[in-house]
Amino acid sequence: MSTAAAPNYELIQQDGLETNLLEVSMGPHHPSTHGVFRMDVKLDGETVVDLRPVFGYLHRNHEKLAENMSYLSSMPFTDRLDYFNSMTNNWAYALAAEKLIEVEVPERAEYLRVIMAELTRLVNHVSLVGFFINDLGALGTPLLYAFREREKILDLFEQASGARMMCNYFRFGGLRNDVPEGWLERAGEVVDSFPSFLDEYEQLLCENEIILSRTQGVGNLPRELAINAGVTGPMLRASGVAYDLRKVDQYGIYDRFKFRVPYTDGDTGDCYDRFMIRMLEMRESIEILKQALAGISEGEIMGNAPRVFKPKPAESYGRIEGPKGELGFYLIADGTPKPYRYRVRPPSLINLTVLRDMCLGGKIADAVIILGSIDIVLGEVDR
Amino acid sequence: MIPELLINILITTVPLMLIFATLFAFTTWLERKALARIQNRIGPNKVGIPCTRIGLFGLGQPAADGIKMIFKENIVPRGADRLFHLLAPILALIPAMLVLCFLPLDFPWVNEDSVKAYLLDGAVIFFFAITGLNTLAVFMAGWASRNKYSLLGGMRAVAQMVSYEIPLVLSAVIVVMMVGSLNAAEIAGVQMRENWFVFSPWGFAAFVIFFIAALAETNRSPFDLPEAESEIIAGYFTEYSGFKFALFFLGEYIAMFAISGLAVTLFLGGGDGPGVTLDQGLPTEAFPGLAVIWFLMKIFALIAMMIWLRGTLPRLRVDQLMGFAWKFMLPLSILNILVAGFAWHAERLGNTYITVTTWVISLAILYGAASGLNQLNRGKVRPREYKYAE
Amino acid sequence: MSILGGGIFKGMAVTLRNFVGSYINKKERLPTNDYSWRADGALPQGIGDYPKEKGEQLSDTTTVTEYSRNFPMLLHDGGEPMDTVRCVACQICERECPPQCIYIEKDYDENGKYIKRPAVFDIDVSVCMSCQICVEVCPFDAIVMNSQFELSTPDRFGGLLVRRDDLLKSNDYYHQIHPEEAAARDQKMAVEKAAKEAKKKAAAEKAKAAAEKKAAEAAKEEAE
Repeated sequence: MSTAAAPNYELIQQDGLETNLLEVSMGPHHPSTHGVFRMDVKLDGETVVDLRPVFGYLHRNHEKLAENMSYLSSMPFTDRLDYFNSMTNNWAYALAAEKLIEVEVPERAEYLRVIMAELTRLVNHVSLVGFFINDLGALGTPLLYAFREREKILDLFEQASGARMMCNYFRFGGLRNDVPEGWLERAGEVVDSFPSFLDEYEQLLCENEIILSRTQGVGNLPRELAINAGVTGPMLRASGVAYDLRKVDQYGIYDRFKFRVPYTDGDTGDCYDRFMIRMLEMRESIEILKQALAGISEGEIMGNAPRVFKPKPAESYGRIEGPKGELGFYLIADGTPKPYRYRVRPPSLINLTVLRDMCLGGKIADAVIILGSIDIVLGEVDR
Repeated sequence: MIPELLINILITTVPLMLIFATLFAFTTWLERKALARIQNRIGPNKVGIPCTRIGLFGLGQPAADGIKMIFKENIVPRGADRLFHLLAPILALIPAMLVLCFLPLDFPWVNEDSVKAYLLDGAVIFFFAITGLNTLAVFMAGWASRNKYSLLGGMRAVAQMVSYEIPLVLSAVIVVMMVGSLNAAEIAGVQMRENWFVFSPWGFAAFVIFFIAALAETNRSPFDLPEAESEIIAGYFTEYSGFKFALFFLGEYIAMFAISGLAVTLFLGGGDGPGVTLDQGLPTEAFPGLAVIWFLMKIFALIAMMIWLRGTLPRLRVDQLMGFAWKFMLPLSILNILVAGFAWHAERLGNTYITVTTWVISLAILYGAASGLNQLNRGKVRPREYKYAE
Repeated sequence: MSILGGGIFKGMAVTLRNFVGSYINKKERLPTNDYSWRADGALPQGIGDYPKEKGEQLSDTTTVTEYSRNFPMLLHDGGEPMDTVRCVACQICERECPPQCIYIEKDYDENGKYIKRPAVFDIDVSVCMSCQICVEVCPFDAIVMNSQFELSTPDRFGGLLVRRDDLLKSNDYYHQIHPEEAAARDQKMAVEKAAKEAKKKAAAEKAKAAAEKKAAEAAKEEAE
């Protein structure tokens, strides 16, 4: 699973004294492991000598359940995969299913999909930066500022779809219902007030000497290792590869928007790079949102998908640039209303495979920070 | 019949303990409200007068917390050393309360007969000696809990507290050098006659070093690594519950008060303020107790600063913390002593031009040394630029 | 190089601004404690003291937005609920429900013939995840989402199983809590009903025309 070899520590003889390694299980109940995730670390003083991640505490059988339900009924379960970004999960699944049948998504629905996805990206990145600084020890101040902005966006989601987090909003061929009156103006207000919040946030964080000295040089991920391990998303861009699915695949109507993709200049990335890339990506998302809100027009929101979803035998893979990485759904249809195989490509899990390589040789305080910068959500890791 | 000596002792010590215990309760309330407002929320506002719905801004919260702590079950881990598990919080509290009597607080109800500890000729030395016992208490707590996390926390705490005592003491040495005596009342008195020590470059540098070292001594953010919640849950007091935890908490806050009190005495003038003048050796006040009120207000200003720093800064890592103490603060405080020594002699000459030049030169030397040491220690760390792809 | 410790001072300036701002600029700094910035006119002001604001019990449907959803309810069109209930117990929602929280039994009359209403309709509210799939697949507009959220009960198993009679709510109540959606649904049902009537009338006329034609032909044959 990882490429680094742990040094061979047996019993270390120092001045005739026998010493042992301290084995600590940073167990499932821990304030900083972002969910029920366990790391078995072996410590030599404060240095991490070996690290073994253990997950599976949140396994809920998502993929097998989907084989017993119709395609529409497993849409609410995709909300709960990566529970911070329910809208983008829905979109990836809808993309995969729309490739199995011939349906055209109307333009207003495409614009609204892009708006919802970029709002989700804002929510995710701002929460992640808040949690990251919280792990560093800032007692929640940046986290609560981030959540204050997140609340405004969650209110927008509630007005559009009825639920704050588990939205269940996307359907095959469009969206479930149109946004209510005045929603676009309210979204415009939120988007307009976001850059000043980002400026204040950057002033609080980005030149703080303590944050700089704790995150720079910590958790180096070389470019070759990142590409070989299949890491995607902001982690890959922080290691120096300019790869963003919105530019590569151009799914939806992303080819109509002008935006830039930030990436590091060099060929390794550390925690500081990942954190800064996410801050810069938020600004690009605001650009896309402004263009989308200006360009949206009236129209239908549901294409003519068949009433009973029974695709012919085929397979499809639909992927999007989720806020955490490449989220993909692989579907095999066999002519019945239920899928034959349903597989999720979870970005958090695949990004997590390089945790051990990044943590070996560092201190235990760094292990927590590195885990925070990978941006995992256990719902996605364990499904 | 109660002997007179006992009354003379009690009349200074008992009000001190009562006042500071009340101030501790008030400070916990203040900290929670201030941190909440910094974080854009309200903080406790429901617990006010019991059995009514009057919130009173949550002022009853410390009392409610105290009652809750007393009624909690006392859990001691199996296999833990029971005696030391019990002794550690007591040992954390007693030195903190003991050093409070060395602060030059002149209550209006004391007269010449009552025993005043701050008139001791080695008060400052005593202060530092007794504060060192805190380290022992923390380590006892970490070891006696029989928990790997507590052990890690205890060891980190000992390393931190021992290494930050040196800059603490060295910056106090400057003031002692200027005054020529270790007597707390005399140091405060000198500042009432002349300027406060914080208003001179070496005094200001010493005050900043003292304040940062004080944050490290009392394990406050950004040096709260021993109680780092995100890695080792609660560090050396993970296994404490109920009243023992309350004693630790009390000990930490009273230590905060004590060190802030010493900072006020050494650098900020003690009880000095408008309305307090010094003539014929004893300070006279506009009304009795004004000096005490100024003293307490200055302590609260420092406490507010500590709370503000706690709400803003993340914490340092262990090796960075130790590097900061040994490679930055120690050379700077030694340099500060040299500069202060030269400046004291220069001021004795009485020439204004020489005094002004000395001030400017010492400011330049201290700032340059601080910047140079900073560059030396963390030269490669700076904000970065990123590329964009279309 | 900037001032020594400059980043820390900038951070402290931000926290001071937030501290002062939370007293004087509540709209921007404390948005979740003060709902006056929300554009929905339906929200009461000063809602910070839920559940009792100035001693009066707030209803739990006063705080919702147009689309917000909690748990399902069965609709009836007024009068005696079981006479006008729209649900015909077709069991489509039971099949499609993702967590399978609905349990339906059809109702039979004395002769054993199936009448079109549910005898048992239970929803286990502790399992339901408010996903709205049952609402979407129902062909009769019989089940919609309620927004009542004060359903806590001390009985962990029986208390959270909501039975048919508690689920039945009238269409007027639906108009009260989700006016736009209810109006849209009523309009859709009226359009469908009108279309069905028109089709029936057309079929009846065609049948009558066919019958007349047949009668005319029969009369003609008889005349020959």
